[in-house]
Amino acid sequence: MTDRLAFRRTALNIAAPLFVAVAFVGLWYVLSVTVYADKAFLLPGPVAVIKAMHRDFGTILAATLVTFKEAFSGYAAATLLGISAAALMSQSRLLERSFYPYAVLMQTVPVVAVAPLIVLWFGYGETSVIIVSAIISLFPIINNTLLGLQSASSSLVELFAMHKAGRLTAFRKLRLPGAVPNIIAGLRISAGLSVVGAIVGEFLIGSGNSRGGLGVQIIFAQGRMDTPLLFAEVIFATFLGFGFFIAVSLVGRLLIGHWHESAR
Amino acid sequence: MMPGIPLQERGEKAAAAAASAPRRGRGGAVSIALSGVSKRFDDIVALEPVDLTIKGGSFLAIVGPSGCGKSTLLRIIAGLIAPSSGALTLPGHAVGAFVFQEAALLPWRNVQANAELVMELENIPKAERVKRARHALAQVGLEGFERRYPHQLSGGMKMRLSLARAMALRPDFLLLDEPLAAVDELTRDQLQDELLALCRSSGVTAVLVTHNVYEAVYLADQVVVMSARPGRVIDRFDVPFGDDRAPELRSSPEFVSLAAAVSASLRKGRVDD
Repeated sequence: MTDRLAFRRTALNIAAPLFVAVAFVGLWYVLSVTVYADKAFLLPGPVAVIKAMHRDFGTILAATLVTFKEAFSGYAAATLLGISAAALMSQSRLLERSFYPYAVLMQTVPVVAVAPLIVLWFGYGETSVIIVSAIISLFPIINNTLLGLQSASSSLVELFAMHKAGRLTAFRKLRLPGAVPNIIAGLRISAGLSVVGAIVGEFLIGSGNSRGGLGVQIIFAQGRMDTPLLFAEVIFATFLGFGFFIAVSLVGRLLIGHWHESAR
Repeated sequence: MMPGIPLQERGEKAAAAAASAPRRGRGGAVSIALSGVSKRFDDIVALEPVDLTIKGGSFLAIVGPSGCGKSTLLRIIAGLIAPSSGALTLPGHAVGAFVFQEAALLPWRNVQANAELVMELENIPKAERVKRARHALAQVGLEGFERRYPHQLSGGMKMRLSLARAMALRPDFLLLDEPLAAVDELTRDQLQDELLALCRSSGVTAVLVTHNVYEAVYLADQVVVMSARPGRVIDRFDVPFGDDRAPELRSSPEFVSLAAAVSASLRKGRVDD
């Protein structure tokens, strides 16, 4: 009985978004053969996009791999840096007061505007792209981790204090495990952002590099008015970020599925 | 009674003694004495000087309205808050355990691992922890639930687990901060009996803070009434019902009249405000 219920729920979880996808592609197709029939360079139909995907599959795949590498490196750096920064800030009110405003500023500074500076400092290469990706991904991770680390119940904090648990013990056994749901939430937000950061970085490094990632290829495609290819590349970029999101969600389920609502 | 030592030193010695602390019968149980203990937070007097003696193995209940400083008093005994004046006298080896109104469990740990938590903090070896946690869980009727997680337990079961976690430490004194305030009436009566049995069989010295007059009279050997603003002790009652108390006691005339007297004292405190 429970199995059947679970099966029906899973089926619904797959069927409902699938239905939306089919409806969306249908609408896209209809628009492309009616309103945009004579202006395919503005809105190519699904078939044209799939043809472009097929034609340039090698290029797109290579570009996706490049962007994946950059976004993943930026994401990993932001994860490491973000969790460490939040851990430090959670240990001292002074540290938090001193640095948290700058963590916020890091989020509000227009990264697109600062990117040229980063390129100036770190050169036209993947290092700059990784840095842009890391900056964009950083804040949600810091913010959510900090929130999680600070939200231990006061009774438990007292319990640990009464039994003379040190800071490190309280961090390891109480604050950090309790923050995992928040950390996962931050990582989920940053998953897509890291890909956005990598693409923005690639835009700025420019089209000089023919072996560049999706950002570079998108600029190429735009220059050649190859809209179907542009669409194909955007779709790949989108699914790259989506893949990160799914991966993090799966890790989250493994870590906290047995006790936390959000992962069930 | 062993000579009292300053608060700060108590913790380390208690931790060192925890691993080897033998189970004390009521004869060797730990007494707690407060003399002139007060607490002010900045300009606000949370607690006027209090003198209290809790005999080893006895059960003291503190009743009073919100803001009367009863929780502060409990936390001073726990060593969580330093008193502004006065002295707390506790033997150096004494091990305390605290039970909160909320069960305060770690949701990512299963029942067994939660029951081991405070023993873990007190550095009791793993094999010993496992053994004691099993025993304590069996005592509160949670045998067979070891692999469950807190979100799979009812409110009463969570509180039982919280009690088991405290008792597994084999504490000399047990501090209870309205532990039964959040459970339903039926569960509360049942938990009171279980708590009573646990305290009697372990010989622990217990201090309970509660709003509930009936709970105080049913469980305690001595009831202290406090009033608010500033927090102070206004009355003390000896409860003459001895060690063996059964649910029928709740409807006996002696019980009802004592509870009425405590209630009257509580009301008097309110009128004074």
